[in-house]
Amino acid sequence: MTELRFHRGLYAGLAVEEAVKLFAPHATLRVREEPDHWVVEVEGGARERRVAGELGNYALGLTVKHGNAR
Amino acid sequence: MAHEDSFPEGLVAVDRTAGAVRLELDDTLYPLEALYGAAYTFIDRCWVLLDRPQAGRLRATLAPKAGAGDDGAALHALAGEFANELLSCAWRHQIAQQNRAIIEQVTAQAVAGAMGPPSLDDLAKFEFSGEALEDPLGIAVSWEEKYRDKKAEPKAKDAK
Amino acid sequence: MMLTQIRKRDTASQAFFRYRPVGDKVVVTNQSGSFLVLSQPEFRAFAEGAVERESALWTRLRDGDFLREELNVARASEQLRRRKGFIHHGPNLHIVVVTLRCNETCVYCHASRADLGATHTDMTKELAEKTVDQILRTTNSNVTIEFQGGEPLVNFPVVQHLIEYALEKNRTAQKRLEFTMVSNLSLMDEEKLAYLLKHKVQICTSIDGPEHLHDKQRKLPGLSAHRTAAHWIKRINEAYVEMGLDPTLYHVEALLTTTAEALKFPKEIVDTYVALGCRALFLRPVDPFGFAEKTGHRVEYPRAEYMRFYAAAVDYMLELNQKGVQILERFASIFLTKILGGEDPNFLDVRSPCGAGIGQVAYNYDGKVFTCDEGRMLHEMGDSTFLIGEVGRTSYRDMMGHPTVRALAIASNLDAQPDCVNCAYQPYCGVCPVHNHKTQGTLFGRMRESTLCAVHKGIQDYLFGRIADGDAAVMETFRRWTTVRDRAHFLQACAT
Repeated sequence: MTELRFHRGLYAGLAVEEAVKLFAPHATLRVREEPDHWVVEVEGGARERRVAGELGNYALGLTVKHGNAR
Repeated sequence: MAHEDSFPEGLVAVDRTAGAVRLELDDTLYPLEALYGAAYTFIDRCWVLLDRPQAGRLRATLAPKAGAGDDGAALHALAGEFANELLSCAWRHQIAQQNRAIIEQVTAQAVAGAMGPPSLDDLAKFEFSGEALEDPLGIAVSWEEKYRDKKAEPKAKDAK
Repeated sequence: MMLTQIRKRDTASQAFFRYRPVGDKVVVTNQSGSFLVLSQPEFRAFAEGAVERESALWTRLRDGDFLREELNVARASEQLRRRKGFIHHGPNLHIVVVTLRCNETCVYCHASRADLGATHTDMTKELAEKTVDQILRTTNSNVTIEFQGGEPLVNFPVVQHLIEYALEKNRTAQKRLEFTMVSNLSLMDEEKLAYLLKHKVQICTSIDGPEHLHDKQRKLPGLSAHRTAAHWIKRINEAYVEMGLDPTLYHVEALLTTTAEALKFPKEIVDTYVALGCRALFLRPVDPFGFAEKTGHRVEYPRAEYMRFYAAAVDYMLELNQKGVQILERFASIFLTKILGGEDPNFLDVRSPCGAGIGQVAYNYDGKVFTCDEGRMLHEMGDSTFLIGEVGRTSYRDMMGHPTVRALAIASNLDAQPDCVNCAYQPYCGVCPVHNHKTQGTLFGRMRESTLCAVHKGIQDYLFGRIADGDAAVMETFRRWTTVRDRAHFLQACAT
């Protein structure tokens, strides 16, 4: 299992949400909230590392596109 | 100097198992815009994750998509490249703030000069319904609207 | 010399300046593009605010607008306005790729040429017309349509059709219209030549140097590419003379792509150009587009080696000029026009902002439109970042207003660029965001790692080094290299 921790001050919540939606068909994703982070747990067998990585990049890309986490 | 000595201690950590490298950054040196800018340029060949381990610190984790295995030298080189891009972005952010007026002026003149004035067809397609500007002082209000005698209106109505 | 060596720094007496050590001298420049070459003691005096009023140095500094109290704002503003006059005008250079097919195979081909059987890469007459319609919508009153390929002569019927359609449409558009063609000349014949001469198409070709070098790098099946090109260069130049045109002004232009192999032959390359009757030689370094990805290991080189080659070639050209042989180097001419002439020759790759979109547009054989030729080349490599529309589907204003055009205008503005913002050569220089994107993954790039920056800085270091030497004969040649002579013959008459 790979855990992605998205800091609320660095990632836009909507960006994380969109990324999770997009990659849901490709792995088992569980999302939980912590005080400072959105945490996404990724389970995907052989593809797990790639799905986790691309999900993180997608969230980052969307955050940048929409003008950062603020 | 071995590649492990390239950076001050504690700033760069290589995780060979994960095939990733982490950089810890002082957020007073690198604005967030610079971090985003630098991180974005690596997302085609790396998986990039940003974090804030504690107040005043930022962390960037980069994992090459093609896999670096346990090649510590390659991961350190990646960290070095990221640090250079981060510096470039940080300085550019500062320059853009200082030279904003001239950059905007030149860009506007260049693009406006190339575009030319709109044709009637362009104007016909233009969306005028949106608010053109914010008007906190109520300046963009016609004289009639501003000074009409609101008390007079019911009399006019009664007169009918 | 580093400013840290200057102990008594004075920041009150100088107007804004940048500086760069060149040899044992120091070059200072300012925002309006004035320059001075100072000795180290002179620079120290300037930096320390210790220049004696009314001294020779003080007068030079005053006349160049380097002294704050003496700054002639009106003069400096006018100089800056002259240098940046191109900003207000839209694209004047329109590159039309009429086909990707080519009958030569060049080791460094940046156009990603296609084989002669790939007729699907020919522009159609219909698309040629739509392309002309789009071109003539430019806000610039000057329009140059440049035919490129592949090899444009492969699709000559469309070249003809485009020329004739453009001439017809220009009767209404009333642009100052010119045509140029970049061709390897191997498919030229008397009939095509007659047409091109009649329609005043300027012809440009590639000559990589002496025959053994040229033919090694440019394969023409069954023939010598060099001998074929040389034959037609001579024939075309003769034709210009027959037409009564001044051969010093009207002749085939040729340019070079400097490969690793070419670096061994600076003088031989210059001699080849002189023997062919060429008056100009453009020592272009190899670029990262097209086939360069695959052949880079053969053709690429450290830019320090290129600079040694460049200096050797230009030193030799200067010697030849002093013996009465007219030959100039195009890069030098571009920079010297800015440095000595105070004008911008509007070479779109070396200006701030660059010409991408706002100064040039590239139209592909399939109607797709790009910010520049480099952007189009990247598209053929699979990266369509610089696509801004399609003829017949995207309006001219939408293309010019495309966010990519705006991004490139910002990314190529040297007032926004780390390193460039402090560089003494900033008034004369330019960056290529497409080159940055390809080589470094960002539009902005990092200039310390840019091979293009290394070339631009290197050439200007060389030129300022020669200027600093103060050789009168060299300076006379440099001034001749800044002279732009109008070639009115190529301007199309627009009958009303």
